[in-house]
Amino acid sequence: MKKSDDLKKKWAPYLYVLPAFFLILLLIVYPVVTSLNLSLRDKVTSHFTLDNYHYFFTDQVQLNNIGYTLFVAVMTVVLALLFGFMLALYIRFNNNGLSKTVVALTILPQFIPGLVAVYSMMLVVRNGGVLSRIAQSLGFTFNPNLMYSANGLIMVNLWFNIPFAALLLLASLANVRQASIESARDIGADKWTVLLKIILPTTYKQFFIAGAFVFMSNVGSFTTPFLMGGNNPQMLGVVLYKEFNQYLDYNKAAALSVILFLLCSLSAIVYVIVNMRKEKWR
Amino acid sequence: MKFWKRATAAAAGILLFVGLAGCSNSSASSKKASSSSVKQTNVTLWAGGSQNVKDGMSKIVSAFNASPEGKKYHLNLEFILSGTSAASLQDRLVAAKKAGQKKTNYDLILASDSDYAAYTQLGGKGIFEKYDKSQISNLKNDKATISAGKGYLVPYRGTTVVLAYDSAKVKNPPKTSKELYTWIKANPGKFAYNTPESGGAGAAFLQTAVYNYLPKSALTSSDSKWANQWDKGLSLLKSLNSYMYKSGGKVVYPNKNQGTMDLLANGQVEMIPAWQDMTTMALTAGTLPKTVKMTQISPAFTGNLDSLVIPSIGSNKKGAEAVMNFILGKKAQNILVDTMAAIPVIDQKEITSDNLKYIKGLNAKDFRFSSTGDLATQLIQKWDSEIENGVK
Repeated sequence: MKKSDDLKKKWAPYLYVLPAFFLILLLIVYPVVTSLNLSLRDKVTSHFTLDNYHYFFTDQVQLNNIGYTLFVAVMTVVLALLFGFMLALYIRFNNNGLSKTVVALTILPQFIPGLVAVYSMMLVVRNGGVLSRIAQSLGFTFNPNLMYSANGLIMVNLWFNIPFAALLLLASLANVRQASIESARDIGADKWTVLLKIILPTTYKQFFIAGAFVFMSNVGSFTTPFLMGGNNPQMLGVVLYKEFNQYLDYNKAAALSVILFLLCSLSAIVYVIVNMRKEKWR
Repeated sequence: MKFWKRATAAAAGILLFVGLAGCSNSSASSKKASSSSVKQTNVTLWAGGSQNVKDGMSKIVSAFNASPEGKKYHLNLEFILSGTSAASLQDRLVAAKKAGQKKTNYDLILASDSDYAAYTQLGGKGIFEKYDKSQISNLKNDKATISAGKGYLVPYRGTTVVLAYDSAKVKNPPKTSKELYTWIKANPGKFAYNTPESGGAGAAFLQTAVYNYLPKSALTSSDSKWANQWDKGLSLLKSLNSYMYKSGGKVVYPNKNQGTMDLLANGQVEMIPAWQDMTTMALTAGTLPKTVKMTQISPAFTGNLDSLVIPSIGSNKKGAEAVMNFILGKKAQNILVDTMAAIPVIDQKEITSDNLKYIKGLNAKDFRFSSTGDLATQLIQKWDSEIENGVK
């Protein structure tokens, strides 16, 4: 009996991991491997080739698309973190009716379907939309020119991501002990010093984590750029859709998927490194 | 050890459950088959498409079942909403045919004449059965002519791309394609067409601009030699590029048919190529201003004829023909115009629907069809690289 108990102890953990492991194997590892395989084959002959990658890294149009995608994603990350942090600070250090309402509003976007949000946004900001009509009724012409431009895309991305970043940052702000702040204040620290010496050192890790998530969800986004983006350059999500659905070029689509996957892995690496670093100070 | 016992027991349980589920499934289908052997026989119509097709077809089905013919045959609708498993009807039918199934409930399906080519290419010519003319007395009223599948396809409704314009701003809409191109140049920023890959209206604009320079037969040919003659049309579109709608100083080709329609609704542009049925539905729903009107230019934009066809693996040919006959009748045609703003295939004098005022002057008789197979995709790719990605 003793022996079988040992066996159980030894194998039980693996058994618990097994379902999740198989799911990952089936839904993530298998598609990644087949995509990788597909991306290295010629469309017609199915022989090994690097042409599919070569195309995306030499074709001027595709290079512009890659650059444009990175630009939109990075700008979204930077601005979402900046505004999200400001929002989180406000919520953390103010406890009144208004700040509670703000918390409720912050959670709201997570419950609105993306498509609905993008369409409502388009209705408001498009040329000839709500803003233009309000301006017209006040007697002047105003066109936001946000449709079909990077600015518009970034703006909608921010709408989705500021609350998300704020929620993540808020969690780490909860770790900042009120006592630490108060003692710092007692010995004469001003607000900036508190921010730089106490709050930022406690929360900087969460910045990288929130940034990694925001980057990943935006670099391959489709709905917003498809509905609001221009014709040239385009974000990679739309390019991928076209390669796959319109041109039926599965090999190029696979190559682009791998490129997107690698871009996402960059932020995943940041995430892992930050997570593994030992806490130096607390 | 106990644990493993339990695990095997659980696995056996799951297997048993799956087995039972499989059994119950097959018994349900055999029940269905046996009930069709009673006096009134079943006809199943398979259809796919958007919600408007589903609405229209559901009304047709209940009207048929309420008609005298409905006493002999009971019509059922199996609908596959597009986007969920769009190519699925075709896949299912071809698969059933290849698996050698017979006497299935694929009694009647909806297909356009361009679908017909794909069906016969995949499933062989024997995938469909010819209809019996003598069983379909209303066939003589069918004014539509199809480009493929004669004797198999019964065209029952049409839809085409037209020019939609704001009559408050455009007093004299163009009548020919030449006039249209001149109008675009004379009114910079007031015309837009959607990216051809994202919607049929833009695709029709591209296709007609290119194929107007080619002989008539090219539009129904998939011979790649015609691709060498696209340059003239493409350079015409390039020359129009800078006169298209601009946002923030940049030329824009919106995505989807709805994209250009939104621009028209907001007064950003004055004229667009658009689907006639989609425009009509938008007008009746009030999402387009009442001043928007439709017109067809000459040579026309391309359109589509939707048809009924009998798969050879169906089990109720007589019933299917009764449905074909019914759909060409006055009542069914009025339902189609009402619910889908379809262009009727019978004489428009027979139509009493309110929607008639929107489709006046559009006849299924003089539709312009295209069936260029793989070339259509290649043309779009060419447009993408030469026009969408920046005119040099």
